[in-house]
Amino acid sequence: MNTFDSIIIGAGPAGLKAADTLANFNRKVLLIDTDAKIGGKLNLWDRLFPDFSSSQELLNQLSKNINNENVTLKLNTNIISIKNNDNHWMATDSNGNTFYATTMIIATGFDVFDAHRKEEYGYGIYKNVITSVDLEKILSGEVSIETPSKVAFIQCVGSRDEKVGNNFCSKNCCICAVKQTIELKEKFPLTDIYCFYMDLRMFGQSYEELYRRSQQDYGVNFVRGRVSEISPTMDNKVVLKAEDTLLSRPLKLTADLVVLMVGMEASKGTKILGNQLNINNTDGFVKSTDRYLSDSETTLKGLFVTGTSKRQMSIPETMNDAVNAAVIVNNFLNTL
Amino acid sequence: MDKKNLILKKLDEDVRFHEALSACMNCGICTAICPAAEFYKYDPRAICNIVQMGNVDEIEDLLKSDTIWYCGQCMSCKTRCPRGNTPGMLITVLRKVSQELGYFTESEKGRQQFAIEQIVGKNIVNFGYCVHPDIVEPFMHPEQGPVWKWFRKNIESVAPRFGAVYHQEKAGALRKVDDNSIDEIRRIFEVSGGNELFDTIEKFSEQKASEYHQNADHDYLMKVYTDNSGEHSK
Repeated sequence: MNTFDSIIIGAGPAGLKAADTLANFNRKVLLIDTDAKIGGKLNLWDRLFPDFSSSQELLNQLSKNINNENVTLKLNTNIISIKNNDNHWMATDSNGNTFYATTMIIATGFDVFDAHRKEEYGYGIYKNVITSVDLEKILSGEVSIETPSKVAFIQCVGSRDEKVGNNFCSKNCCICAVKQTIELKEKFPLTDIYCFYMDLRMFGQSYEELYRRSQQDYGVNFVRGRVSEISPTMDNKVVLKAEDTLLSRPLKLTADLVVLMVGMEASKGTKILGNQLNINNTDGFVKSTDRYLSDSETTLKGLFVTGTSKRQMSIPETMNDAVNAAVIVNNFLNTL
Repeated sequence: MDKKNLILKKLDEDVRFHEALSACMNCGICTAICPAAEFYKYDPRAICNIVQMGNVDEIEDLLKSDTIWYCGQCMSCKTRCPRGNTPGMLITVLRKVSQELGYFTESEKGRQQFAIEQIVGKNIVNFGYCVHPDIVEPFMHPEQGPVWKWFRKNIESVAPRFGAVYHQEKAGALRKVDDNSIDEIRRIFEVSGGNELFDTIEKFSEQKASEYHQNADHDYLMKVYTDNSGEHSK
């Protein structure tokens, strides 16, 4: 029987950091991911806000200790059920393999909102409508495009929207768009950029300053209004309809490229496991026992949760949360 | 009850009011999708904001303005609102309150309520049709072109060529609506408050007509039907 001190489900930033921390406490950890490589959603981004640091560099740092003797990594492994039996946790994968541990940490994270669901924005219909994730490939140089003359960013795609069942704010898209507009301007200095927003929530350290730089140094235009729909033009561009709510005027903008700032939903894995154990919120994210005092614990003894499987977080918040979870798990193991 | 409390009470008592507006975040997506907002000085988001802020003086101004009469009631706004509001239904409620308090006679577009009540409203209860060729007078509908006059004159021979059964008691377009159905329509208007609303519109319109020293049935009717300040579009 494979027995570990802890099984961590999800080898994204949260899982990696928690594994690293627990390994340093000399705990035996099994780190599992359904993907073929570690890093989770970090792999989708080229550079990180607000300092444009490299995501791959961060991933290299995070994965340094993965080969540590205390950490066993299992990729391509899809956990479909979690059970508790006599104070031991069991995780079973889709091939019928079962793994055993004293504790379990859910680090199954988030999924990017599927932009096809906002049909009125034409993602998958018009080739010049892309998501913020698609844009990263352009910014990294993996995909090349002709210089666009006008680019529009649309905030809150799949967030703050009852129509798709997501009332929450994904909170990272605001600053992510600011980062991406600057990167796009550096790549294409002559491109005009318009960013449609409802509120710009610059909650983090130096976010507001970056927003200001995007206006002051890069000339990015911010328009306060939610886009109602996108339609094609005869010359293969697209037209956006919105209201400039600060002027009380409806407007139409023709653009060569539209970037949909897709939000963060509880991942499929998070929803499945949360449902199974009855520890999720109505929005699908896993609920911690108390967000002030015991934010890594769940109502089930020995089951812990970290990172964006709980709620939307930035990468630094995820790092801190993962360390916190690992400390709590280590303390729990010490009491046994 | 003073006038201001009356306005708020009337809004609150209409079940549609609470359905229409619960929490607006002023994103403007309703205005962005609104066909009326493209042409008229009309901004459904701004209307929601005024009502949500609850300043009764501003709401009263709204009820007396042209603004609430620009909406075409297509309800496109309902399909988009990320907070599940329906600005178009809020307009419905504001119009009802404006009608009941007689504020509609204070604006050019509002005064047209009298024309639509006299023409479309009465048509329904008299003929079972909102619009029927017998009632669409050529002099009131220049947009129909000269052919309309000719069509009306020759309707008995022309209508069958379009498959219509003009004034006949059988199935098809332009058929005579039978007396039982007309009776039913009238009863519906009686029990649903339709007739009462007609009376209210007539009462306030007659008052306004007398302010203008006009007779309501003709001069005032033609005035509200044709007045156009040219100040409505953007």
